[in-house]
Amino acid sequence: MAGWNVFVLIAALSMPTLAGAAIGDIRLDDKIHSMEKAGVGPVVFPHGRHEKLYRCVDCHPGIFKDRRGANDISMKSNMNRKFCGSPNCHNSRKAFPLYMCAKCHTNVRAD
Amino acid sequence: MKASSKRSLLKAAFSAMLLGFIGFAAPGYVSSPPAAATDAKEPSANKTAPVLDPRDPGSVIYLDHAGKPAGVGDPSRPPSLAYKKGRGWHPEALTASDLPKDKFGLIDWAKSVRQNRIAPKPSLDPDEAADEMPPLKMDVLIPAKSDYVNDVIYPHEMHTYWLKCEVCHPKIFIPQKGANNITMVGIANGKWCGRCHNRIAFPLADCNRCHVSPKKASESAKSAAK
Ligand code: HEC
Ligand code: HEC
Ligand code: HEC
Repeated sequence: MAGWNVFVLIAALSMPTLAGAAIGDIRLDDKIHSMEKAGVGPVVFPHGRHEKLYRCVDCHPGIFKDRRGANDISMKSNMNRKFCGSPNCHNSRKAFPLYMCAKCHTNVRAD
Repeated sequence: MKASSKRSLLKAAFSAMLLGFIGFAAPGYVSSPPAAATDAKEPSANKTAPVLDPRDPGSVIYLDHAGKPAGVGDPSRPPSLAYKKGRGWHPEALTASDLPKDKFGLIDWAKSVRQNRIAPKPSLDPDEAADEMPPLKMDVLIPAKSDYVNDVIYPHEMHTYWLKCEVCHPKIFIPQKGANNITMVGIANGKWCGRCHNRIAFPLADCNRCHVSPKKASESAKSAAK
């Protein structure tokens, strides 16, 4: 039985998201000052929805470091094919494009 | 005003049509090898054979010889006037041409102009063609409200190559730097630049074609400190 426990432990360590089960939504608002100027609210990143579509290694650590606040995500880096705008993600036909502001940002000013 | 702006917008579509027409009239259907298209010439007026299949719902719009919309590629409607004349424009035919493409595989019209690959007529009406103005060489900086994206440089030159001033001024943009409260949300909702980009001009997903001017070093240092 001990061997089985060790296996579970290793599995848990190597796949933190799976072991921790559904991380849920992550609020991204460190650039809120700039977002306010642009008339949009914080981004709510639906981690759970992405977990259903991809494996952890598809994003971590290549695209995003798996620690909150460790990624300096900005709209400019997204536009330059980093983070959310990575070539197979929101800069490709596989996912909605970057200009659909209200898909990610909350409180998008109407106009 | 309305009619004239519509007309000018059509100018772009029509030039596109002419081009597709000249390039692809002779070889026939789109599926024919594009190489055969190079020495194509205008079909004679009495040629009635369909140039492109109007039953293909992928066809967007047909224009008649006067540049007026003559029908759409809608299979449920009778063949258009343009089709009867053996004329048509099909976006796929254009895509098969060897004009420069953007990263989405769409024709890069701006580059086609810069490389002198195309020379659309200013107008089909000779009188109107005569008072065509040369493009206005004026860039306008539109600073982005966000601290993190490059500012936008709006080039009058490429736009006025295709369009008249009245297409944009004063209805879409007040002709005064900074007088328009342009936002990206609005653009994505089809306002401002979004009136044309994503529709008749290159798509909004090509962010860095508009966002070309890095924020001044002092400004980005300021925003980094925040
Ligand atoms: C057709 C030109 C054009 C394209 C393409 C374009 N933008 Fe913009 N963008 C603008 C203009 C004009 C502004 C307004 C500048 C201002 O007043 O802030 C702007 C502003 C912005 C802003 C600042 C916030 C705001 O509302 O003003 C962000 C962020 C932005 N754009 C992101 C993007 C992203 C991401 C893309 C690509 C998916 C993109 N833009 C593509 C023209 C464009
Ligand atoms: C495709 C749209 C479009 C067309 C066509 C167009 N303009 Fe503009 N124009 C703009 C935009 C966008 C601005 C910037 C407005 C702003 O900064 O808010 C502008 C600004 C201007 C300004 C103010 C510049 C300043 O520094 O204050 C003048 C003057 C102007 N245009 C004249 C013209 C003339 C003359 C023509 C025709 C030859 C023309 N425009 C055609 C979009 C257009
Ligand atoms: C009335 C229609 C219209 C509007 C409004 C418009 N554009 Fe364009 N734009 C065009 C057309 C047509 C072209 C040339 C075809 C193409 O490049 O797709 C073009 C091309 C461009 C180019 C490419 C120039 C090049 O040399 O590659 C840029 C940059 C651009 N537009 C920015 C803007 C910005 C920024 C705005 C808003 C401030 C705007 N446009 C509004 C129609 C428009």
